Amino acid sequence: MWRSIRLNAYSAEPLYHQIEVQLRALIVSGRLDEGAMLPSIREMAQHLNCSVITIRRVYQDLEAEGLIVTRQGTGTFVAKVDPEKRSRHRLESVAAAMREAIEAGRRVQCSDDELRALFEQALREGKENRPLPGEGGPAENEKGDAE
Amino acid sequence: MSVSGQPAVRLSGVRYGQSHFQLGPLDLEVPAGFVTAIVGPNSSGKSTTFRLMLDLMKPDEGSIEVLGTRIGSGKRTELLRRIGYLPEEPYRHDSALRGADKAEFYRYWYPDWDDPYYQDLIRLFEVNPSLRLGSMSKGMRRKFDLALTLAHRPELLLLDEPSSGLDPIAWRTMIDILHRYMESGERTILIATHVVEEVKRLADYIVFMVNGRVLGMFEKDETLTSWHQYYFMGSGEQWLGALSGMPGLAALGETGGIVRAVTSSAREAEAWLAARGLEPAGRNAMELDEILAVLVEREKTVGLQGTKGVRT
Repeated sequence: MWRSIRLNAYSAEPLYHQIEVQLRALIVSGRLDEGAMLPSIREMAQHLNCSVITIRRVYQDLEAEGLIVTRQGTGTFVAKVDPEKRSRHRLESVAAAMREAIEAGRRVQCSDDELRALFEQALREGKENRPLPGEGGPAENEKGDAE
Repeated sequence: MSVSGQPAVRLSGVRYGQSHFQLGPLDLEVPAGFVTAIVGPNSSGKSTTFRLMLDLMKPDEGSIEVLGTRIGSGKRTELLRRIGYLPEEPYRHDSALRGADKAEFYRYWYPDWDDPYYQDLIRLFEVNPSLRLGSMSKGMRRKFDLALTLAHRPELLLLDEPSSGLDPIAWRTMIDILHRYMESGERTILIATHVVEEVKRLADYIVFMVNGRVLGMFEKDETLTSWHQYYFMGSGEQWLGALSGMPGLAALGETGGIVRAVTSSAREAEAWLAARGLEPAGRNAMELDEILAVLVEREKTVGLQGTKGVRT
């Protein structure tokens, strides 16, 4: 499942942040099950073509948030996320994504009204049974490959 | 950032001079537990630096510490057993030896020689050790030497252009083996390379080295996401002044009606441009070789006019 993480190497957004946002979403949404083992820092770095410094930072941050636990000598696992926390986290990641979208809009001098119109439009498009970009493949692929 | 707190290699004020080349003064700490790539043009002093670390050459000034041992303190043999060194060029004097004989020799000298691991490496690299070293192809010789360098599971690997002569398949095998070698988290690789893709795949830190001097040590991911270049259409007069205050400005110049501005702080630069309503006609993240070119250029002009006015 963690293999669905995708990086944009052309963005000025730091890699650790890109990875953190996606990994957090995978855990909070329950797409990575409680107890699922994450790859070692070096393995994850190799897979994502980034440095262990970046992955270490991501793991440290998510561990501090209580989303993952590292057991010395065994590995890093997805922690139990209690339902209340899950719902809070659930909205947090959406709110963060919206803040980023707004920031992207500000960069090209969008007005509030323009942003609202874009939001409404995206919402309508989303309802026309299209999966949102960045949400990965069809649901049947989303379980079973947590490593 | 190092795991043990102690750097794997520490150079302090190291100078080494030859009639045609001056190395240093070098101050460098190679963090333990990471892969550090030394990147620089030919004859920037990379191989000499390796040879100094191995006590194969004596510095004129300064001190060198490797794996906690001060070079020149008389513990050379013990120290060398903990290091794996792959020189840029294979040794020429042993071309009549068969691979297996040379491996036998290494087994004798390295108490930590791991024969099953050596056999694994030979198999992964598809090397035929019964051949004489002189009759191996360049690529096979390189793979064989890499296997010899790794087989005693050294704490520190010094690799000087390891992939020269390797085909793309062997190259991938090497990258994979080196990643696995680092898996325990306690080992250190220092690699000198020209190959951008190698740095991207392997390195945690990058050291830029030019003309015998270290231009700086950078965290790779941070560097690759924070160095961007922007293009603006129009004349120099129109843009150069307006852009001279851009955060992280590392190069600014005009060629043929296109102004190019390079920043080492892309996020700040983007915000700065947006706040001024300056819209670049194009922008992209920079590759390592482009960053190196900017640093080399800046090194040439630094002291004359600062960073401003550096040509692209």
